Amino acid sequence: MDDIKTVAKELLTSGKVNAVIGYIRYGNDKRTKPFIAQKPEDVDKFVINNFILNNLAVYLTRKEVSKLGKVAVIAKGCDAKAITALIQENQIKKEDIHVIGINCNGVTKDFDIDFNSENIAGKCLNCDVRTPKLCDSLVGALADIPSGEDLKLKMIRGVEAKNAEERWDYFEDEFNKCIKCYACRQACPLCYCEQCIVDKSIPRWIESSATKRGNFSWNLIRAFHLAGRCIGCNECERACPMDIPLSLLNRKMAMIAKDEFNYDAGTDMNAPTLVGSYDLKDNEDFIE
Amino acid sequence: MENKNQDPKIVAFVCNWCTYTGADLAGTSRLKYQPNVRMIKLPCTGRIDPVFIIKAFEKGADGVLVSGCHPGDCHYNAGNYHARRRWIMFHKLLDYLGIDESRLHFSWVSASEGKKFVDVVNAFTNKVKAKGPFKKYENINKEFVING
Amino acid sequence: MEEKIISKENLLKLCSDLLKNNVDIVTPGEKGYIKIKNESEISLNSKSKHTKASFKEYVFPKSEPIIYYKKNQSDVEIIEPKVEEKTTVIFGAKPCDVRSISILSKIFNWDYKDEFFNVRSRNTVLIGMMCEYADEFCFCTSVNLSPTSSDGSDVFLVPHDENTFGVKIVTEKGADLLKPYENYLSAGNSEKTKAIEASVKQPEKVFDAEKVRQWISGNFENDYWNSIGKMCLGCAQCAFVCPVCHCFDIVDEDYNYYEGRRMKNWDGCQFDMFTKHASGHNPRDDQSKRYRQRISHKFKYYPDKFEEILCTGCGRCSRGCPVTIDIKGIVTEINELAIK
Repeated sequence: MDDIKTVAKELLTSGKVNAVIGYIRYGNDKRTKPFIAQKPEDVDKFVINNFILNNLAVYLTRKEVSKLGKVAVIAKGCDAKAITALIQENQIKKEDIHVIGINCNGVTKDFDIDFNSENIAGKCLNCDVRTPKLCDSLVGALADIPSGEDLKLKMIRGVEAKNAEERWDYFEDEFNKCIKCYACRQACPLCYCEQCIVDKSIPRWIESSATKRGNFSWNLIRAFHLAGRCIGCNECERACPMDIPLSLLNRKMAMIAKDEFNYDAGTDMNAPTLVGSYDLKDNEDFIE
Repeated sequence: MENKNQDPKIVAFVCNWCTYTGADLAGTSRLKYQPNVRMIKLPCTGRIDPVFIIKAFEKGADGVLVSGCHPGDCHYNAGNYHARRRWIMFHKLLDYLGIDESRLHFSWVSASEGKKFVDVVNAFTNKVKAKGPFKKYENINKEFVING
Repeated sequence: MEEKIISKENLLKLCSDLLKNNVDIVTPGEKGYIKIKNESEISLNSKSKHTKASFKEYVFPKSEPIIYYKKNQSDVEIIEPKVEEKTTVIFGAKPCDVRSISILSKIFNWDYKDEFFNVRSRNTVLIGMMCEYADEFCFCTSVNLSPTSSDGSDVFLVPHDENTFGVKIVTEKGADLLKPYENYLSAGNSEKTKAIEASVKQPEKVFDAEKVRQWISGNFENDYWNSIGKMCLGCAQCAFVCPVCHCFDIVDEDYNYYEGRRMKNWDGCQFDMFTKHASGHNPRDDQSKRYRQRISHKFKYYPDKFEEILCTGCGRCSRGCPVTIDIKGIVTEINELAIK
């Protein structure tokens, strides 16, 4: 299997791409940051390890990056799902990007912690895309990954077990922490709208104040707008400075999409999107 | 907004071609229904963005009624099919967040179903009346109110 | 500066008394600064990591009403909300956090006197604590602060050992707070305090703020800004957790046709919407321009105007950045560019 540096260097020197988006080590060995290499010598800094948390697909729709021309992007299996979803939604063209898939051996929940069964990210535990489904070149080798407990799933089951009133109180408290910094939105590869609904002021659909009401509406609509689209990279939750468990919403929506429509986001770039399509046999027992 | 138990505010988002016409038929047929419903006419159920429903609750609605053409009858062929798929996701999300599902009612009412419209409105109004004011949403609306 | 000693036991008693006297106590907790209900929740750990957000919220709330209005037949009635005059003690904050209030008060009292901020800051007593935590994102020494700086504190605590704290009474406000509880304090040992302060590990000084200021002045169009703009995702996490970022937006929200409120909400310069004009034109239409604004405001415009760096070196923005854009690293690079 080729080394990331060799692959990236070849792409840049041959002129196949103008830039490669990857990860470099930052600060200490347990931390990385995204980096855009435009010169072949830049790729020497690239690393692949268990601390490459960012979903680099977020950069593909940004105008600062699309200015660079054709780019290559390093993608874990989950990131490749995001790229698939972006292609599916006509936001990028397959031929405009080069996906360097990596055989992923799991990542941590956060930086600066050891990679072990306790700290492995929840999304990695039952991952079915450790080898990305969508890639133009593939690097790295698969190794055994630690197993751990899926705490977030446990939390979702916990919330489901509560009654409606308790669920409301739980989410009201969580949403109340929101400060409307929109880090969740900005870190999300699928939140690419030129103008977010929360920024629309005529009319003002969602209040921009970080009040209980404004926060409730924002978090509800954010989750809904990602329904059947979220690919579960969990970047929103990691970006949240207030530790709001956003994956409880996103994952629940993905579970509903799976139950109701047997739909998995980001698996087939030629399939119609979930809410952009319909079936005559869709469930309507709640409609009178 | 002030709400008395017996006078709930209900907002109805209805499609222009079926439910609104159905309501018209109820009117011209002199059928009586409870006056708690404020109807908002939209071109199609496909135009009903879930954010409308949230806005209605924010503005003090105790219940929201959403209604349009029966499947297969859409004036634009597939608008209600798209809407239906969205509602499936949306009502499950609301339920998960702890919003009382019975405060949101979905129905299909065609242009010829004046009687059904009356029944739907009456039944839903009675249900919301029995529930009383939407206390949970009132609470989050109450933050930063005048002199409070 | 008067110096005293207090035991841990007495410190808890002091907090308990303050709580009984209807004083709010805010202290760094696991999930940020929290208002405590019980003195046992108080933070006495000088080695703890910075909270994710600063205590800015307690003097400058994330959202607050500044006007209520009521329309009647022919007139509009304006009701101005009053900020409650209630003493709040910020307890055990790090020197970098404590310093923020005096920096903020310059902008909030520059041409318009912001009563909302002033009432709150007037009623806030800052009990700072020496800091023994430093990671790769800390740079307080580079912005003229230090882990032992009592600058900005009303009372400053220096842990002598687990159960004893040196108490520096820095301001009159601090003295007034402690006056009723004098019996909890005993005579100070400034020698020991000095020795402990001298032994604290200081973050390395990595840049010269004056050089950085000069470089920014002459390099508005420098290509360096583009290299950061490409990576920044444009969330405002950095501004919202920053102890001294103070930009806000004003929006009107209605309850119904007749009544409503005017809200003052935190805003951040990394948003595209921040500078967007009604015409649709946006003078900062690119992320690199927005990031340049962030750095320039902190290290040039604010120092130019108020002779104060708009940064306390806490490193929160970098620790929390989803893509690890490190302000310390960036300003250090600028410093190197300036030396060249």
